[in-house]
Amino acid sequence: MKYDVVVVGSGVAGPIVARDVAKAGFSVLLVDKKPAIGTPKQCAEGINVNVFKEFDIPYDKRFINREIYGARIYSPSGYTAELRYDKVSGVILERKVFDKMLAYYAAKAGADVWARTEVIDLLRKEGKIMGVKAKHEGELVEIEAKIIVAADGVESTVARLAGINTYAPPHEFDSAYEYEMIIEGYDPDLIHLWFGNEIAPRGYVWVFPKDEDRANVGIGINSDNEKTAKYYLDKWLKENNIPTKKILEINVGLVPVGGFVRELVKENVAVVGDAARQVNPVHGGGMYEAMKAANILAKWIVKALEEENLELLKNYTKEWWEVEGPKMERLLKLRRAMEKLTDEDIDVFVQLLGGTDLEKLAGGNYFEVVKALMKHPKVLMSKRRLEILKALL
Amino acid sequence: MKKIKVLVNEDKCYLCGGCAGVCPALAIRVSSSWQFFEDKCISCMICIKACPVGALSYEEVAQ
Ligand SMILES: Cc1cc2nc3c(=O)[nH]c(=O)nc-3n(C[C@H](O)[C@H](O)[C@H](O)COP(=O)(O)OP(=O)(O)OC[C@H]3O[C@@H](n4cnc5c(N)ncnc54)[C@H](O)[C@@H]3O)c2cc1C
Ligand code: SF4
Ligand code: SF4
Repeated sequence: MKYDVVVVGSGVAGPIVARDVAKAGFSVLLVDKKPAIGTPKQCAEGINVNVFKEFDIPYDKRFINREIYGARIYSPSGYTAELRYDKVSGVILERKVFDKMLAYYAAKAGADVWARTEVIDLLRKEGKIMGVKAKHEGELVEIEAKIIVAADGVESTVARLAGINTYAPPHEFDSAYEYEMIIEGYDPDLIHLWFGNEIAPRGYVWVFPKDEDRANVGIGINSDNEKTAKYYLDKWLKENNIPTKKILEINVGLVPVGGFVRELVKENVAVVGDAARQVNPVHGGGMYEAMKAANILAKWIVKALEEENLELLKNYTKEWWEVEGPKMERLLKLRRAMEKLTDEDIDVFVQLLGGTDLEKLAGGNYFEVVKALMKHPKVLMSKRRLEILKALL
Repeated sequence: MKKIKVLVNEDKCYLCGGCAGVCPALAIRVSSSWQFFEDKCISCMICIKACPVGALSYEEVAQ
Protein backbone atom coordinates (compact mmCIF):
# COMPACT_ATOMS: atom_id res chain seq x y z
CA MET A 1 0.00 0.00 0.00
CA LYS A 2 1.43 3.38 -1.02
CA TYR A 3 0.26 6.91 -0.31
CA ASP A 4 1.73 10.39 -0.50
CA VAL A 5 0.72 10.98 3.12
CA VAL A 6 -0.38 8.77 6.01
CA VAL A 7 -2.09 10.51 8.91
CA VAL A 8 -2.06 8.66 12.23
CA GLY A 9 -5.00 9.58 14.45
CA SER A 10 -8.45 10.79 13.48
CA GLY A 11 -9.34 13.17 16.30
CA VAL A 12 -9.51 16.83 15.37
CA ALA A 13 -6.08 17.56 13.91
CA GLY A 14 -5.76 14.41 11.76
CA PRO A 15 -8.87 14.74 9.60
CA ILE A 16 -8.24 18.44 8.93
CA VAL A 17 -4.75 17.66 7.62
CA ALA A 18 -6.12 14.72 5.59
CA ARG A 19 -8.95 16.81 4.14
CA ASP A 20 -6.78 19.72 3.10
CA VAL A 21 -4.04 17.57 1.56
CA ALA A 22 -6.57 15.40 -0.31
CA LYS A 23 -8.27 18.53 -1.63
CA ALA A 24 -5.00 19.52 -3.26
CA GLY A 25 -5.04 16.25 -5.17
CA PHE A 26 -2.56 14.12 -3.23
CA SER A 27 -3.23 10.60 -1.99
CA VAL A 28 -3.85 10.37 1.76
CA LEU A 29 -4.66 7.59 4.20
CA LEU A 30 -6.16 8.54 7.57
CA VAL A 31 -6.08 5.80 10.22
CA ASP A 32 -7.36 5.54 13.79
CA LYS A 33 -7.14 2.71 16.26
CA LYS A 34 -10.72 3.24 17.42
CA PRO A 35 -13.34 0.89 15.97
CA ALA A 36 -15.68 3.89 15.75
CA ILE A 37 -13.95 7.17 15.01
CA GLY A 38 -14.78 9.67 17.78
CA THR A 39 -15.81 7.04 20.35
CA PRO A 40 -15.05 7.05 23.22
CA LYS A 41 -14.36 10.76 23.53
CA GLN A 42 -12.16 12.56 26.04
CA CYS A 43 -13.53 16.06 25.99
CA ALA A 44 -15.86 18.62 27.56
CA GLU A 45 -16.81 19.57 24.00
CA GLY A 46 -16.75 23.35 24.35
CA ILE A 47 -15.47 25.42 21.44
CA ASN A 48 -15.61 28.98 20.15
CA VAL A 49 -18.24 29.51 17.46
CA ASN A 50 -15.77 31.15 15.07
CA VAL A 51 -13.97 27.90 14.26
CA PHE A 52 -16.61 26.79 11.76
CA LYS A 53 -15.88 29.72 9.47
CA GLU A 54 -12.16 29.81 10.12
CA PHE A 55 -11.62 26.14 9.27
CA ASP A 56 -14.40 25.70 6.71
CA ILE A 57 -16.45 23.23 8.76
CA PRO A 58 -20.23 23.05 8.19
CA TYR A 59 -22.35 24.33 11.10
CA ASP A 60 -24.20 21.02 11.22
CA LYS A 61 -26.79 20.52 13.96
CA ARG A 62 -25.93 16.83 14.05
CA PHE A 63 -22.85 17.63 16.16
CA ILE A 64 -23.97 20.78 17.93
CA ASN A 65 -25.65 20.02 21.22
CA ARG A 66 -26.17 23.52 22.42
CA GLU A 67 -25.31 27.12 21.65
CA ILE A 68 -23.66 29.04 24.47
CA TYR A 69 -23.81 32.78 25.17
CA GLY A 70 -21.02 33.28 27.67
CA ALA A 71 -19.43 32.14 30.90
CA ARG A 72 -19.73 32.53 34.65
CA ILE A 73 -16.79 32.03 36.98
CA TYR A 74 -17.01 31.26 40.70
CA SER A 75 -14.40 31.96 43.39
CA PRO A 76 -13.79 29.75 46.45
CA SER A 77 -15.94 31.94 48.71
CA GLY A 78 -18.71 32.20 46.16
CA TYR A 79 -18.02 35.50 44.38
CA THR A 80 -19.01 35.34 40.72
CA ALA A 81 -18.17 37.18 37.54
CA GLU A 82 -20.30 36.76 34.46
CA LEU A 83 -19.86 37.46 30.80
CA ARG A 84 -22.95 37.25 28.61
CA TYR A 85 -23.26 38.16 24.95
CA ASP A 86 -26.50 38.64 23.03
CA LYS A 87 -25.04 36.53 20.23
CA VAL A 88 -23.91 32.90 20.31
CA SER A 89 -20.27 32.86 21.40
CA GLY A 90 -19.54 29.13 21.62
CA VAL A 91 -21.06 25.70 21.23
CA ILE A 92 -21.02 22.43 23.10
CA LEU A 93 -20.33 19.78 20.49
CA GLU A 94 -21.10 16.09 20.36
CA ARG A 95 -17.50 15.01 19.79
CA LYS A 96 -18.45 11.47 18.87
CA VAL A 97 -20.36 12.79 15.89
CA PHE A 98 -18.03 15.73 15.23
CA ASP A 99 -14.83 13.65 14.93
CA LYS A 100 -16.55 11.11 12.71
CA MET A 101 -17.94 13.85 10.46
CA LEU A 102 -14.48 15.45 10.19
CA ALA A 103 -13.21 12.07 8.96
CA TYR A 104 -16.18 11.97 6.58
CA TYR A 105 -15.24 15.38 5.16
CA ALA A 106 -11.69 14.09 4.66
CA ALA A 107 -13.06 11.03 2.86
CA LYS A 108 -15.28 13.20 0.69
CA ALA A 109 -12.27 15.31 -0.23
CA GLY A 110 -10.56 12.16 -1.52
CA ALA A 111 -8.73 10.68 1.48
CA ASP A 112 -8.95 7.00 2.34
CA VAL A 113 -10.01 6.36 5.93
CA TRP A 114 -9.40 3.26 8.00
CA ALA A 115 -10.87 2.81 11.46
CA ARG A 116 -9.62 0.12 13.84
CA THR A 117 -6.10 0.47 12.46
CA GLU A 118 -3.44 0.97 15.08
CA VAL A 119 0.01 2.14 14.11
CA ILE A 120 2.51 0.13 16.12
CA ASP A 121 5.81 1.18 14.57
CA LEU A 122 7.50 3.13 11.83
CA LEU A 123 8.51 1.40 8.63
CA ARG A 124 12.23 1.89 8.11
CA LYS A 125 14.31 0.87 5.13
CA GLU A 126 18.06 1.46 5.07
CA GLY A 127 17.72 3.80 8.02
CA LYS A 128 15.08 5.95 6.34
CA ILE A 129 11.48 6.27 7.49
CA MET A 130 9.34 4.95 4.65
CA GLY A 131 5.91 4.73 6.29
CA VAL A 132 4.21 2.95 9.17
CA LYS A 133 3.45 -0.55 10.37
CA ALA A 134 -0.11 -0.99 11.53
CA LYS A 135 -2.45 -3.61 12.87
CA HIS A 136 -5.94 -4.04 11.52
CA GLU A 137 -8.09 -6.73 13.13
CA GLY A 138 -4.96 -8.60 14.09
CA GLU A 139 -3.44 -8.41 10.64
CA LEU A 140 -0.13 -6.62 10.13
CA VAL A 141 -0.11 -4.06 7.30
CA GLU A 142 2.74 -1.97 5.95
CA ILE A 143 1.76 1.44 4.68
CA GLU A 144 4.34 3.27 2.63
CA ALA A 145 4.16 7.06 2.55
CA LYS A 146 6.34 10.00 1.62
CA ILE A 147 5.13 11.97 4.64
CA ILE A 148 3.90 10.71 8.02
CA VAL A 149 1.69 12.88 10.21
CA ALA A 150 1.60 12.05 13.94
CA ALA A 151 -1.84 13.29 15.04
CA ASP A 152 -2.16 10.55 17.63
CA GLY A 153 -3.19 12.69 20.59
CA VAL A 154 -1.74 12.90 24.06
CA GLU A 155 -0.07 9.46 23.84
CA SER A 156 2.18 10.82 21.12
CA THR A 157 3.95 7.55 20.42
CA VAL A 158 4.47 7.96 16.66
CA ALA A 159 6.42 11.21 16.93
CA ARG A 160 8.54 9.79 19.73
CA LEU A 161 9.34 6.71 17.64
CA ALA A 162 10.56 9.07 14.92
CA GLY A 163 12.85 10.82 17.40
CA ILE A 164 10.83 14.02 17.82
CA ASN A 165 11.17 15.12 21.42
CA THR A 166 7.62 15.61 22.71
CA TYR A 167 8.53 14.83 26.32
CA ALA A 168 7.62 17.21 29.11
CA PRO A 169 7.57 16.66 32.88
CA PRO A 170 4.32 15.45 34.51
CA HIS A 171 3.59 18.91 35.92
CA GLU A 172 2.94 20.02 32.34
CA PHE A 173 -0.10 17.74 32.11
CA ASP A 174 -3.57 18.02 33.60
CA SER A 175 -5.47 14.93 34.70
CA ALA A 176 -9.15 15.18 33.84
CA TYR A 177 -12.28 13.33 34.90
CA GLU A 178 -15.82 14.06 33.76
CA TYR A 179 -19.43 12.92 34.07
CA GLU A 180 -22.09 13.59 31.50
CA MET A 181 -25.01 13.79 33.89
CA ILE A 182 -28.32 15.28 34.82
CA ILE A 183 -27.69 18.49 36.71
CA GLU A 184 -30.15 21.26 37.49
CA GLY A 185 -30.01 24.85 38.61
CA TYR A 186 -27.21 26.15 36.37
CA ASP A 187 -28.05 28.62 33.61
CA PRO A 188 -27.87 26.38 30.52
CA ASP A 189 -26.90 29.28 28.23
CA LEU A 190 -23.55 29.74 29.96
CA ILE A 191 -20.55 27.58 30.76
CA HIS A 192 -19.68 27.56 34.46
CA LEU A 193 -16.18 27.41 35.97
CA TRP A 194 -15.16 27.05 39.64
CA PHE A 195 -11.68 27.93 40.83
CA GLY A 196 -9.92 27.22 44.11
CA ASN A 197 -6.97 25.29 45.50
CA GLU A 198 -9.20 22.97 47.52
CA ILE A 199 -11.72 22.64 44.68
CA ALA A 200 -9.37 21.90 41.80
CA PRO A 201 -5.63 22.29 42.39
CA ARG A 202 -4.16 24.24 39.44
CA GLY A 203 -7.29 23.72 37.33
CA TYR A 204 -11.03 24.17 37.63
CA VAL A 205 -14.36 22.39 37.82
CA TRP A 206 -16.61 22.90 34.80
CA VAL A 207 -20.26 22.56 33.89
CA PHE A 208 -20.74 22.66 30.10
CA PRO A 209 -24.49 22.36 29.35
CA LYS A 210 -25.66 20.04 26.57
CA ASP A 211 -29.35 20.49 27.44
CA GLU A 212 -31.43 22.46 29.95
CA ASP A 213 -30.68 19.81 32.58
CA ARG A 214 -27.85 17.74 31.06
CA ALA A 215 -24.19 18.73 31.12
CA ASN A 216 -20.58 17.67 30.99
CA VAL A 217 -19.46 18.11 34.59
CA GLY A 218 -15.74 17.67 34.94
CA ILE A 219 -12.47 18.66 36.50
CA GLY A 220 -8.83 19.14 35.56
CA ILE A 221 -5.99 19.11 38.12
CA ASN A 222 -2.19 18.97 37.93
CA SER A 223 -1.28 15.43 36.94
CA ASP A 224 1.51 15.15 39.54
CA ASN A 225 -1.04 15.58 42.31
CA GLU A 226 -1.08 12.90 45.01
CA LYS A 227 -4.85 12.54 44.68
CA THR A 228 -6.85 11.72 41.58
CA ALA A 229 -9.04 13.97 39.47
CA LYS A 230 -11.95 11.67 40.27
CA TYR A 231 -11.39 12.22 43.99
CA TYR A 232 -11.65 16.00 43.62
CA LEU A 233 -14.70 15.92 41.35
CA ASP A 234 -16.65 13.55 43.60
CA LYS A 235 -15.72 15.70 46.60
CA TRP A 236 -16.97 18.87 44.88
CA LEU A 237 -20.26 17.26 43.87
CA LYS A 238 -20.82 16.00 47.39
CA GLU A 239 -19.97 19.32 49.04
CA ASN A 240 -22.39 21.09 46.75
CA ASN A 241 -25.16 18.54 47.33
CA ILE A 242 -25.39 17.74 43.65
CA PRO A 243 -27.04 14.34 43.21
CA THR A 244 -25.03 11.83 41.16
CA LYS A 245 -27.75 9.32 40.49
CA LYS A 246 -28.14 10.06 36.79
CA ILE A 247 -24.75 9.53 35.13
CA LEU A 248 -24.93 8.99 31.36
CA GLU A 249 -21.24 8.77 30.54
CA ILE A 250 -17.81 8.93 32.18
CA ASN A 251 -14.73 10.37 30.47
CA VAL A 252 -11.14 10.46 31.58
CA GLY A 253 -8.02 11.79 29.96
CA LEU A 254 -4.83 13.78 30.20
CA VAL A 255 -4.28 17.22 28.74
CA PRO A 256 -0.85 18.62 27.87
CA VAL A 257 -0.88 22.17 29.22
CA GLY A 258 2.65 23.33 28.54
CA GLY A 259 6.08 22.30 27.39
CA PHE A 260 5.52 23.04 23.70
CA VAL A 261 7.48 21.01 21.20
CA ARG A 262 10.37 22.98 19.69
CA GLU A 263 10.90 20.95 16.51
CA LEU A 264 7.61 19.79 15.04
CA VAL A 265 9.24 18.00 12.10
CA LYS A 266 11.92 15.40 11.76
CA GLU A 267 12.82 14.31 8.25
CA ASN A 268 9.46 13.27 6.77
CA VAL A 269 7.49 13.05 10.05
CA ALA A 270 5.44 15.94 11.45
CA VAL A 271 3.60 16.11 14.77
CA VAL A 272 0.37 18.05 15.34
CA GLY A 273 -2.37 18.65 17.93
CA ASP A 274 -2.23 17.18 21.44
CA ALA A 275 0.67 14.98 20.29
CA ALA A 276 2.62 18.23 19.80
CA ARG A 277 1.24 19.65 23.06
CA GLN A 278 -0.56 22.39 21.11
CA VAL A 279 -3.10 23.13 23.83
CA ASN A 280 -4.10 26.41 25.48
CA PRO A 281 -2.20 26.20 28.81
CA VAL A 282 -4.71 28.34 30.69
CA HIS A 283 -8.03 26.64 29.93
CA GLY A 284 -6.79 23.32 28.56
CA GLY A 285 -8.83 23.58 25.36
CA GLY A 286 -7.00 21.93 22.50
CA MET A 287 -9.45 21.65 19.63
CA TYR A 288 -8.89 25.14 18.26
CA GLU A 289 -5.12 24.81 18.50
CA ALA A 290 -5.25 21.37 16.85
CA MET A 291 -7.20 22.79 13.91
CA LYS A 292 -5.00 25.83 13.60
CA ALA A 293 -1.79 23.78 13.54
CA ALA A 294 -3.36 21.24 11.17
CA ASN A 295 -4.16 24.07 8.82
CA ILE A 296 -0.57 25.31 8.78
CA LEU A 297 0.84 21.79 8.47
CA ALA A 298 -1.44 20.87 5.55
CA LYS A 299 -0.32 23.96 3.66
CA TRP A 300 3.36 22.98 3.95
CA ILE A 301 2.71 19.32 3.13
CA VAL A 302 1.04 20.40 -0.11
CA LYS A 303 3.93 22.74 -0.95
CA ALA A 304 6.52 20.05 -0.15
CA LEU A 305 4.74 17.52 -2.36
CA GLU A 306 4.16 19.98 -5.18
CA GLU A 307 7.77 21.03 -5.26
CA GLU A 308 9.04 17.54 -4.39
CA ASN A 309 11.13 19.05 -1.62
CA LEU A 310 10.52 17.58 1.85
CA GLU A 311 12.80 20.19 3.39
CA LEU A 312 9.87 22.60 3.02
CA LEU A 313 8.05 20.70 5.78
CA LYS A 314 10.27 22.48 8.29
CA ASN A 315 8.42 25.67 7.49
CA TYR A 316 5.52 24.23 9.47
CA THR A 317 7.62 24.48 12.64
CA LYS A 318 8.69 27.99 11.72
CA GLU A 319 5.20 29.24 10.88
CA TRP A 320 3.58 27.66 13.94
CA TRP A 321 6.09 29.30 16.23
CA GLU A 322 5.61 32.63 14.47
CA VAL A 323 1.82 32.58 14.36
CA GLU A 324 0.84 30.69 17.53
CA GLY A 325 4.09 30.55 19.53
CA PRO A 326 4.10 34.01 21.12
CA LYS A 327 0.47 33.71 22.28
CA MET A 328 1.05 30.23 23.67
CA GLU A 329 4.18 31.28 25.54
CA ARG A 330 2.28 34.20 27.06
CA LEU A 331 -0.56 31.92 28.15
CA LEU A 332 1.93 29.50 29.67
CA LYS A 333 3.50 32.32 31.66
CA LEU A 334 0.05 33.33 32.83
CA ARG A 335 -0.79 29.76 33.84
CA ARG A 336 2.40 29.52 35.87
CA ALA A 337 1.62 32.79 37.60
CA MET A 338 -1.97 31.69 38.25
CA GLU A 339 -0.71 28.52 39.91
CA LYS A 340 0.66 30.67 42.72
CA LEU A 341 -2.70 32.25 43.56
CA THR A 342 -4.10 31.57 47.00
CA ASP A 343 -7.83 31.13 47.47
CA GLU A 344 -7.94 34.64 48.88
CA ASP A 345 -6.29 36.01 45.73
CA ILE A 346 -8.87 34.24 43.58
CA ASP A 347 -11.65 35.75 45.68
CA VAL A 348 -10.21 39.21 45.19
CA PHE A 349 -9.76 38.85 41.44
CA VAL A 350 -13.17 37.39 40.77
CA GLN A 351 -14.74 40.07 42.95
CA LEU A 352 -12.92 42.82 41.06
CA LEU A 353 -13.65 41.25 37.67
CA GLY A 354 -17.33 41.06 38.56
CA GLY A 355 -17.34 44.84 38.67
CA THR A 356 -15.53 45.44 35.36
CA ASP A 357 -16.36 45.42 31.72
CA LEU A 358 -15.76 41.74 31.13
CA GLU A 359 -16.75 41.96 27.51
CA LYS A 360 -13.66 44.05 26.80
CA LEU A 361 -11.59 41.43 28.55
CA ALA A 362 -12.96 38.54 26.52
CA GLY A 363 -12.78 40.49 23.28
CA GLY A 364 -9.02 40.45 23.69
CA ASN A 365 -9.03 44.12 24.62
CA TYR A 366 -8.04 43.37 28.19
CA PHE A 367 -5.30 45.96 28.43
CA GLU A 368 -7.48 48.57 30.06
CA VAL A 369 -9.18 46.13 32.39
CA VAL A 370 -5.86 44.78 33.62
CA LYS A 371 -4.44 48.25 34.05
CA ALA A 372 -7.47 49.28 36.12
CA LEU A 373 -7.15 46.16 38.27
CA MET A 374 -3.49 46.90 38.91
CA LYS A 375 -4.43 50.20 40.53
CA HIS A 376 -6.75 48.56 43.03
CA PRO A 377 -5.30 48.67 46.58
CA LYS A 378 -5.99 44.97 47.15
CA VAL A 379 -3.77 44.24 44.18
CA LEU A 380 -1.19 46.96 44.71
CA MET A 381 -0.38 45.63 48.16
CA SER A 382 0.34 42.12 46.92
CA LYS A 383 3.45 41.33 44.93
CA ARG A 384 1.99 38.03 43.78
CA ARG A 385 -1.20 39.61 42.50
CA LEU A 386 0.72 42.28 40.65
CA GLU A 387 2.90 39.62 39.07
CA ILE A 388 -0.13 37.79 37.70
CA LEU A 389 -1.48 40.91 36.09
CA LYS A 390 1.90 41.88 34.72
CA ALA A 391 2.05 38.52 32.97
CA LEU A 392 -1.08 39.55 31.09
CA LEU A 393 0.38 42.75 29.71
CA MET B 1 15.77 3.61 43.92
CA LYS B 2 13.45 0.66 44.07
CA LYS B 3 12.55 -1.19 40.90
CA ILE B 4 8.82 -1.51 40.31
CA LYS B 5 6.32 -3.28 38.16
CA VAL B 6 3.27 -1.17 37.28
CA LEU B 7 -0.06 -2.93 37.69
CA VAL B 8 -3.38 -1.96 36.15
CA ASN B 9 -6.83 -2.48 37.58
CA GLU B 10 -8.66 -3.26 34.35
CA ASP B 11 -12.04 -2.64 35.93
CA LYS B 12 -11.05 0.95 36.67
CA CYS B 13 -9.03 1.70 33.52
CA TYR B 14 -10.73 3.60 30.68
CA LEU B 15 -7.92 2.97 28.18
CA CYS B 16 -7.60 6.75 27.78
CA GLY B 17 -3.90 6.53 26.95
CA GLY B 18 -2.89 9.24 29.40
CA CYS B 19 -0.38 7.12 31.27
CA ALA B 20 1.30 6.20 27.99
CA GLY B 21 1.56 9.91 27.24
CA VAL B 22 3.27 10.90 30.50
CA CYS B 23 5.59 7.89 30.58
CA PRO B 24 9.06 9.15 29.68
CA ALA B 25 10.21 5.68 28.59
CA LEU B 26 7.44 4.48 26.24
CA ALA B 27 6.93 1.62 28.71
CA ILE B 28 3.13 1.65 28.37
CA ARG B 29 1.04 0.99 25.29
CA VAL B 30 -2.71 1.41 25.29
CA SER B 31 -4.67 -0.24 22.52
CA SER B 32 -7.64 -2.51 23.06
CA SER B 33 -5.86 -3.49 26.26
CA TRP B 34 -3.40 -1.86 28.67
CA GLN B 35 0.14 -3.18 28.14
CA PHE B 36 3.28 -2.72 30.22
CA PHE B 37 6.87 -3.31 29.12
CA GLU B 38 8.85 -3.98 32.25
CA ASP B 39 12.24 -3.86 30.53
CA LYS B 40 11.64 -0.25 29.44
CA CYS B 41 10.21 1.02 32.73
CA ILE B 42 12.47 3.30 34.76
CA SER B 43 10.34 3.10 37.94
CA CYS B 44 9.59 6.83 38.09
CA MET B 45 5.92 6.35 39.18
CA ILE B 46 4.76 9.27 37.06
CA CYS B 47 2.01 7.20 35.42
CA ILE B 48 0.60 6.12 38.78
CA LYS B 49 0.03 9.69 39.97
CA ALA B 50 -1.25 10.91 36.61
CA CYS B 51 -4.05 8.39 36.08
CA PRO B 52 -7.27 10.39 36.59
CA VAL B 53 -9.04 7.44 38.24
CA GLY B 54 -6.24 5.78 40.17
CA ALA B 55 -6.27 2.63 38.07
CA LEU B 56 -2.54 2.06 38.45
CA SER B 57 -0.53 0.71 41.38
CA TYR B 58 2.83 -1.00 41.71
CA GLU B 59 4.68 -3.84 43.30
CA GLU B 60 8.37 -3.92 44.02
CA VAL B 61 10.46 -6.37 42.05
CA ALA B 62 13.87 -7.79 42.86
CA GLN B 63 16.67 -6.01 41.00
C1 LIG C 1 -11.64 15.62 29.90
C2 LIG C 1 -11.17 16.52 28.81
C3 LIG C 1 -11.92 17.64 28.48
C4 LIG C 1 -11.53 18.46 27.42
N1 LIG C 1 -12.34 19.51 27.08
C5 LIG C 1 -12.04 20.28 26.01
C6 LIG C 1 -12.93 21.33 25.59
O1 LIG C 1 -13.99 21.55 26.18
N2 LIG C 1 -12.56 22.08 24.52
C7 LIG C 1 -11.40 21.85 23.82
O2 LIG C 1 -11.12 22.57 22.85
N3 LIG C 1 -10.56 20.86 24.19
C8 LIG C 1 -10.85 20.06 25.26
N4 LIG C 1 -10.00 19.04 25.62
C9 LIG C 1 -8.80 18.81 24.81
C10 LIG C 1 -9.18 18.17 23.47
O3 LIG C 1 -9.94 17.02 23.69
C11 LIG C 1 -7.92 17.81 22.68
O4 LIG C 1 -7.05 18.91 22.70
C12 LIG C 1 -8.22 17.46 21.23
O5 LIG C 1 -9.01 16.31 21.13
C13 LIG C 1 -6.91 17.25 20.48
O6 LIG C 1 -7.13 16.76 19.19
P1 LIG C 1 -6.07 15.80 18.49
O7 LIG C 1 -6.61 15.55 17.14
O8 LIG C 1 -4.72 16.36 18.63
O9 LIG C 1 -6.06 14.47 19.36
P2 LIG C 1 -7.23 13.46 19.71
O10 LIG C 1 -8.56 14.08 19.56
O11 LIG C 1 -6.87 12.87 21.02
O12 LIG C 1 -7.11 12.34 18.58
C14 LIG C 1 -6.05 11.43 18.53
C15 LIG C 1 -6.53 10.18 17.86
O13 LIG C 1 -5.42 9.34 17.58
C16 LIG C 1 -5.79 8.01 17.77
N5 LIG C 1 -4.55 7.24 17.99
C17 LIG C 1 -3.67 7.34 19.02
N6 LIG C 1 -2.64 6.50 18.86
C18 LIG C 1 -2.86 5.85 17.69
C19 LIG C 1 -2.14 4.86 16.97
N7 LIG C 1 -0.98 4.38 17.42
N8 LIG C 1 -2.65 4.39 15.82
C20 LIG C 1 -3.84 4.87 15.34
N9 LIG C 1 -4.55 5.82 15.97
C21 LIG C 1 -4.07 6.32 17.13
C22 LIG C 1 -6.72 8.04 18.96
O14 LIG C 1 -7.56 6.91 18.95
C23 LIG C 1 -7.47 9.35 18.72
O15 LIG C 1 -8.68 9.15 18.04
C24 LIG C 1 -10.35 18.20 26.69
C25 LIG C 1 -9.58 17.09 27.04
C26 LIG C 1 -9.97 16.25 28.08
C27 LIG C 1 -9.13 15.07 28.41
S1 SF4 D 1 -4.32 6.84 32.60
FE1 SF4 D 1 -5.48 5.39 33.88
S2 SF4 D 1 -7.45 5.17 32.82
FE2 SF4 D 1 -6.04 6.08 31.34
S3 SF4 D 1 -5.18 4.31 30.22
FE3 SF4 D 1 -3.77 4.76 31.90
S4 SF4 D 1 -4.44 3.42 33.56
FE4 SF4 D 1 -6.12 3.50 32.10
S1 SF4 E 1 6.82 4.09 36.33
FE1 SF4 E 1 7.59 5.68 34.94
S2 SF4 E 1 8.72 4.55 33.36
FE2 SF4 E 1 7.49 3.04 34.47
S3 SF4 E 1 5.64 2.89 33.24
FE3 SF4 E 1 5.21 4.43 34.82
S4 SF4 E 1 5.75 6.39 33.86
FE4 SF4 E 1 6.65 4.75 32.60
